[in-house]
Amino acid sequence: MDETVAEYIRRTVLKIPRDEIKTMLEKWGLLSETQLQTINFRQIKESISQDVVQLCEENSVDIKQAAVLDIIYNHVYPNKRVWCVYQMKKTGEEAEFFDLTDFKKKFKGRLRSALKNVTINFREYEDNAIWIRIAWGTPYTKPNQYKPSYVVYHSQTPYVFISASVLKSNLPLLCQALVLASNYHDIREMELRSHSLNSLKDIVFKRYSQNFQTHYPRPLQERNVAPKSADLRIIQENRNEKERIERVNREVFGDGPQPKLEFAQYKLETMFKSDPQMDVLDKKEPFRCLVKFSSPHLLESLKSLAPAGMADAPISPLLTCIPQKARNYFKIREKKHFFPESFVSP
Amino acid sequence: MAAGAAPRPARRGGRREGGSNGPRREAAPGLVSVMESVEAVARTLLSFGRLSRGLPFGRAHGLSSRDPLLPLAPRSQENADPQRTAFLLRKQWTLYSVTPLYRFSNAHLRDYARLLSAFIAAEKQKGLAVEVGVELDIKVAVSSLPYLKGSDQDQAAILVQLSSRSPASPKNSEEKLIWSGWFCCVSGDNLSKNVPEDFTCLPLFLVNGAECYTSIVGSWFQKTFDCSFRRLAISPLILSWMAAMWTGCKVDKTASAMELVFSVPCLPQPLDISYAIHPEDAKALWDTVQKTPGEIIQEEVDVFMDCLYSHFHRHFRIHLSATKLVKVSTAIASAHCDGIIKVRF
Repeated sequence: MDETVAEYIRRTVLKIPRDEIKTMLEKWGLLSETQLQTINFRQIKESISQDVVQLCEENSVDIKQAAVLDIIYNHVYPNKRVWCVYQMKKTGEEAEFFDLTDFKKKFKGRLRSALKNVTINFREYEDNAIWIRIAWGTPYTKPNQYKPSYVVYHSQTPYVFISASVLKSNLPLLCQALVLASNYHDIREMELRSHSLNSLKDIVFKRYSQNFQTHYPRPLQERNVAPKSADLRIIQENRNEKERIERVNREVFGDGPQPKLEFAQYKLETMFKSDPQMDVLDKKEPFRCLVKFSSPHLLESLKSLAPAGMADAPISPLLTCIPQKARNYFKIREKKHFFPESFVSP
Repeated sequence: MAAGAAPRPARRGGRREGGSNGPRREAAPGLVSVMESVEAVARTLLSFGRLSRGLPFGRAHGLSSRDPLLPLAPRSQENADPQRTAFLLRKQWTLYSVTPLYRFSNAHLRDYARLLSAFIAAEKQKGLAVEVGVELDIKVAVSSLPYLKGSDQDQAAILVQLSSRSPASPKNSEEKLIWSGWFCCVSGDNLSKNVPEDFTCLPLFLVNGAECYTSIVGSWFQKTFDCSFRRLAISPLILSWMAAMWTGCKVDKTASAMELVFSVPCLPQPLDISYAIHPEDAKALWDTVQKTPGEIIQEEVDVFMDCLYSHFHRHFRIHLSATKLVKVSTAIASAHCDGIIKVRF
């Protein structure tokens, strides 16, 4: 076995949390049950990984097989990467039957003819998700196994989730290969990025509970209200306003858990407006700003702003539209309209 | 004050030319903006002492009209050539407030350097990890910076510098500056009157360099002059001042954005908001807000910030004024509420 393969396997095993190593090796299936039993999974990771490499030597594992372990790791821990969402378009309306073998053949063919040296792995999962791992090389160099790109394609949908490696120059080729292999005509990047792959899927597949306008007031008993103190000396001022805020907030954000995003970015190219009495800037050109929101769980955080008194209720649709519009990068320009308060985002 | 005046007024305290109107100097544009920015930064750094203690400034607070320049300008305007203030530049400064020093004397700076040097050597021998795995010869220099002070009554700034030379390198090879700290005073007349004899007032301490050296030097000063150091937090009010002041400085085309960073920690999920404005647009706004050349008053800073907050509110319906301003950043410098200032150029 090549020492580069050995080193790659060693490093991949080291990434895995110690308690998970056995399970992942079993999923991987390259080592037999008896071989696995010879490993002491209680020792330090460095020793475990060396034992694994030793056994892989006996089985003459090659790089393509080693890469499968990497896919398994990334499938269990996708949130370590940043994922971008792409949408493919086809002109025809007929839903064509998806042929996986044909897809793989065309995909591999396109990449190999351009680069010659690529390591490509496919792995199918239950929810019709096809995971593709690509390690990029050039006609003259071997593939870099440490900076692979990942693609998750749900064949029944036009959506592709890509975790590009640092080698961004390969992105156009990757997109080309996807379009070709899946019989689409075009692909575009959606302005939607996050670490949480499942949340991205929730957003584009509309699997989160969406907000909707209620035309009847929801009886308050439905809500899981925290038991208020029985002390009659404590009264809530502005109770009505507080309840209005809660209600409106739930209307615009929806009731269910929010998809998990970490950031949203707005490039503002709107006009600066001020109170005419203040006699400040009155330019005819846009006031250029870049606003970035970040949080471990952005949408939940934004949802809590109005009840905390830091935002008006309802909060701006620029923020609440994130799941529906399936984007978290925006460019906002002034709408050429009677009502300059409204914004359009291209 | 003479309108459209001579480019560089010679009067004490100088004048801040916050706007960019009128012909000012004949010097090359590049040099001009560097000089302005050095002034702005020096002024700013020195103003912290005053601003942090909430001492009044600004026309609205009744400072005499004789000296309307605010915040206090250092005497650097008169005789600071870029060389002498160069040590301020391209560095990150951590701020401390210091209680008055007992029996400190400007005449004994050389002795202090010697004593501090011995102290550091002793600490190293004791085994305090100064720098892991590296054997360094540390040389201490203590000097006075008479041009860095708020007014004549103030104590001159004191600069402490630690340089090192690896024992392996030849005797006359260059020493590398590894740590700098300077004490300064900007209180002006107010404080000096109240300071008892034997005490020297240098309430602001700025540090650049490794924390291990900071604590050694700090311990020595504490032991020797019976003073104490405390990290200085920069309040949102002062951060707003910095933002407004630095935004007004002239910068070139490639300047970075004026950025305000807000934090909302007390939510179920914490939120950070970065609000960056194109430097030309920010300056254009500030130039219309700041009405009187050579002065900044609190109301102007308030209006400037309110404009930015209301522009933000118009889009997002979030009240930035309810959040905590933790950092401001411009092409010239950035300041963080934990008492850290980075001079950028």
